[in-house]
Order: sequence, then structure tokens, then C-alpha cells
Amino acid sequence: MNNAIAIALAKREWIRFIRQPQRVVGSVGQPLLFWLFLGSGFSPSFKPPGMGEIGYLEYFYPGALLMMLLFAGIFSCITVIEDRDQGFLQSVLAAPVARFSIVAGKVGGAALIALFQCLILLVAAPMVGLVPSLGGTALLLLGLILASVGFTALGFGIAWGMNSTSGFHAVMMVFLMPLWMLSGALFPTMGAPFWLQTVVAVNPISHALTLIRAPFYADVPTLLADSAYLGALSVALVWAALCLAFSLWRVGLVEKGVSPVPGK
Amino acid sequence: MISIDRLHHVYPGGRQQAARTALHHLSLRVAEGELAILSGPNGSGKSTLFRILTGLLRPSSGKVAVGDFDLFAEPAKARALMGVVFQSPALDKHLTVIENIRLQGVLYGLSGRLLESRIDEALAWSDVKARLDDKVMTLSGGLARQVELVKCLLARPKLLLLDEPTTGLDPSSRRAFLDQLARLHEKMGMTVLMTSHIFAEAETAGRVAILKNGHLLAYDTPASLRQMLGSEVLVIRSSNPDALAARLEGEAGAHKLRRYGDELRIEAIEPSQSLALLESVLEQHRGLIQSIAIKQPELEDVFLHITGHAVGPGGGENGEQAA
Repeated sequence: MNNAIAIALAKREWIRFIRQPQRVVGSVGQPLLFWLFLGSGFSPSFKPPGMGEIGYLEYFYPGALLMMLLFAGIFSCITVIEDRDQGFLQSVLAAPVARFSIVAGKVGGAALIALFQCLILLVAAPMVGLVPSLGGTALLLLGLILASVGFTALGFGIAWGMNSTSGFHAVMMVFLMPLWMLSGALFPTMGAPFWLQTVVAVNPISHALTLIRAPFYADVPTLLADSAYLGALSVALVWAALCLAFSLWRVGLVEKGVSPVPGK
Repeated sequence: MISIDRLHHVYPGGRQQAARTALHHLSLRVAEGELAILSGPNGSGKSTLFRILTGLLRPSSGKVAVGDFDLFAEPAKARALMGVVFQSPALDKHLTVIENIRLQGVLYGLSGRLLESRIDEALAWSDVKARLDDKVMTLSGGLARQVELVKCLLARPKLLLLDEPTTGLDPSSRRAFLDQLARLHEKMGMTVLMTSHIFAEAETAGRVAILKNGHLLAYDTPASLRQMLGSEVLVIRSSNPDALAARLEGEAGAHKLRRYGDELRIEAIEPSQSLALLESVLEQHRGLIQSIAIKQPELEDVFLHITGHAVGPGGGENGEQAA
């Protein structure tokens, strides 16, 4: 029963996405342009120590995928605020619906949209010489889903109590974007200042990035025997689970009246 | 069907704002199959009550039972009995009419054949059948309201809650919506609780509750409410109401003089005496009177009587006019 509700809500997300072409263009176009422009511009001067002949277009490619997930997640979270603002949310809240279905519907729908966008960008992977194996593709998919769930659930939890989209933009710029920037998506951290390396190491997004980058370069048995990969996998799992729990907690909060003040 | 017991709600204060009590130990019962209307001036606590009933807000204290279920202890079971029409539209504008309706059905646990048959059943009450594949944003306000009603009916609710459902509708759409509601109430025997500030709407209700500052001031049938004012009312507008009120005080027949803003009223007059009273008042105070009329009390007059009374008996600066 719960599944049917979550699926119906996710389907709604998808329909809304497809019916707003600007949104499709915006969320696919921005990471794509970033990747092409930054990639082409930085490539000639990009000579990271110990990374061989890797071009910046290739280096930045997994980061661009991650950025796409981030943007898809952010757009979906903005719709949380719109739903509240435009009244749709109240009919969901007044219905006998479990709070998990509300979160699962939104996050599931957002993940679906994000994966669809990534698929478009994945077509470009062979152009920069990145061709994952079949098993690698499955692991890549797993990484993309985990990162997408983590991003969306985190944004959902933040957006839930907000009533202005401009407020959410601020959160996005000072919190969500930096999480992505400091994940190693834009630049390798080798040789970076110590504090930066520490931030990157504790940033769960860095681990999600590992899950997306590694499958392009190693086959499945190697990855599953690699402690760094497995470590990243567990961090990303825990991060996504915590973000979901955070969202569930937020949805469960109902505005409550206070006790009458004595003497009043 | 719905039983509200000593419901008390205090909104928490902020740094700049003191805590505000919106509902004062309010108790109200709506019997099964009744059509009750909740009215009151802005800020009377109607919306707070509505938000509590729909589960969007938890009160400071008090109990609400819907059917056999405690709304706060078993919210899912209680909500399954209710259909809600909110004041602001609760539709997704980007989806079509039928997509909105189907989604709502799923939210209430319907699917497959059952959902389709319920949709047919609910659509029979509406005029939106020809527009099912149109996006909601292309509908008129009246039709959009009807879609909300259709959505509500899918789950065959025992209790229908409506918050100012006719806000923003033109008079004919409003009439159509209310007629539909009345037919539904009659044919399906559901309990209806609706907030409204339009008194013409309240005339058709079984019972009318009047709320002010979080207190329930009256809860009775429209006929009994009208009787509170006696049979006729003399309404006087004056350029100098203070002076006129002072002169009318103590005069014969004017013992039920009350003031609402700039308006003076002599209430509860026997029909046989009203014309004579009008003539005598007009004769003696001609210079102070802008207009004077005999009126049969309507619900709006009752509302004025009750809510004005609560602020300051005898009127003066505290007297309030209904918006």
C-alpha cells in the first residue's frame, strides 16, 4: 500500500519534470556546459602529479555526473517548497499517508529524474575514453543512486520547513555547492593544503564521488577487493541513510501549540 | 460524528511577539448527518480549528474524536473517514484533472477497478467530465473547486471538512457549488463541517456555530439564532451616534438599544410596534438621523449582535462591525 503511494508520488515528479522543458534543459545543460567549458579550458594546463596522461575533461567527468545529481536533487527540493506554497502538499498531509511514503515518493522521483539526466551525459563517456565494463556500469549505477538519494534526502530535509525558494537558494550556495566543490570533483586533492585534504576526507560527497569514478577504471572483482572502494561505499551508504532519517524526522514534526502560560 | 472537547491552542511567541491563544477550551459536537457552518470574524480561530482538524497542527490541549477514533491517537484511521477541501487549492496545476483525481485516489489506498468505479461515481456529481484531460491550470476557479470536491468524494468520506470553499468564486459558481454540496449532503447522508463568512450560505445549514477570539459564542439552528433578536430590528445611521445614543437611552421602547460602530440598533421589537417606534424616533431626533429602517433579522444581524456583544455590552468604542 505504502509502495503504491510512493510510486504514485514519484510518478507525479516525473510528469512534472517532463512537462517543464526549461527544467530539463536547465538541469542537463548546466553540468554539461560546465564540463565542456571548464574541461576544455583547463585541459592544456592540467598536469596532476602521479596521474599520468589524464586530461581535465576526463578528470572532471565523474564530477560533472555528481554535479548533475546535485542539481537534479536541488530542483526537486525546490518543488517541496512550491508544493507547500501552492497548496498541493496540504492534501497529501491530510490524507492517511505514512510519512515514509512522502519522503520515498519525492526522493525516488528525484533519483529517477537524476538518473535519466546522467544517462544523457553517459553517452559522452566514450568520447573521453571512459568505457566501464558491464559489471562496472552496475556499480556506477549503484554509486549514482546512492549519491542521488543522499543529495535529495538532505535537500528535502532542509527544504521541508522552509517557505521561500529564495531562502533555499542561499542554503544551496553556501552549503550544498561547497559540499560538491570540496569533494575532489573539480580538482585532485593531492598536494592541496592539509586543511583542505581533511575537509575532503570527511566530506561524504568525496566518497560518493569515489563510487562514481572508480568503476570507470577498474573491474568489479578488483573494486570489491579494494578497501578504499569498500570504505567509500559504506560511508556513502551511511550518509544516504542518515539523510533519509533526517528527512523522515522533519516530515514527522507537526507544529504544536504550547502550554498556556500560567497566570494568563 | 465529530466531537471537539475542550480544545485549547496557544501559538508560541517569538522574541518580538507574545504567545497568542487562538482557541479557548472550545467544545463543539457535530452530529452524524448534520451540515454545520462555522463562522466568525477574521482572527476568530476558525482557521486554527480547521488546521487542527486536518492534522496540520497539534493543539496545546484538548481532544478531538472523529467517528470512533481519537484524531491524535489514531490519526490514520480518523483521517480515512474525512474528506477535506482547503481554502487554497490543493491541486497540482501541471497535472491534468484526471491525473490529480487518480493521485488522490491512490493516497487514500484505492487502486485498479475500485478506483475507476469510485472516480465514475464521484464525477457524476460534477461538471468536469468534459475537461478530464486538461491541465488544472486551464480550469476556471469554479471548475477547479469541483475537482477538489470530486477528489474528496473518492474515499467516500463520512465527514466532509471545507474551509471557505466558495472564496474567490463568482456568485453563480458559488451557488452551483453550494447546491452540489447540499445535494451530496442530502443523498449521501454525510456530515459536513464548513467554515464560511458569507451568511447567505449559513441560512441553508442545519446548525451555525459563531466563533470569536477563540470562544464559541453560539451554536444553534439558523431559526433559533434569529429568534435571539426578536422579530424585528430598527437600524439607525447617524451623523453623531454618541449624541443620538445618549438621547435614545431610557426612551420608551428603546431599552434594547445597541451600538455597532456608527450604527445604532433597537432590537427585539414586536412587529406591531416597529412602525410606531420608527415614527416616534424619527420625529424626535430628525436632525441626528441619516437613515432609519425596519429590518427582519438575518443571520448577519445575529452575527453582529453576538460578536459585538462579546466585546463590550452597550457598544461604545468597543462595538464592532462585521466585515
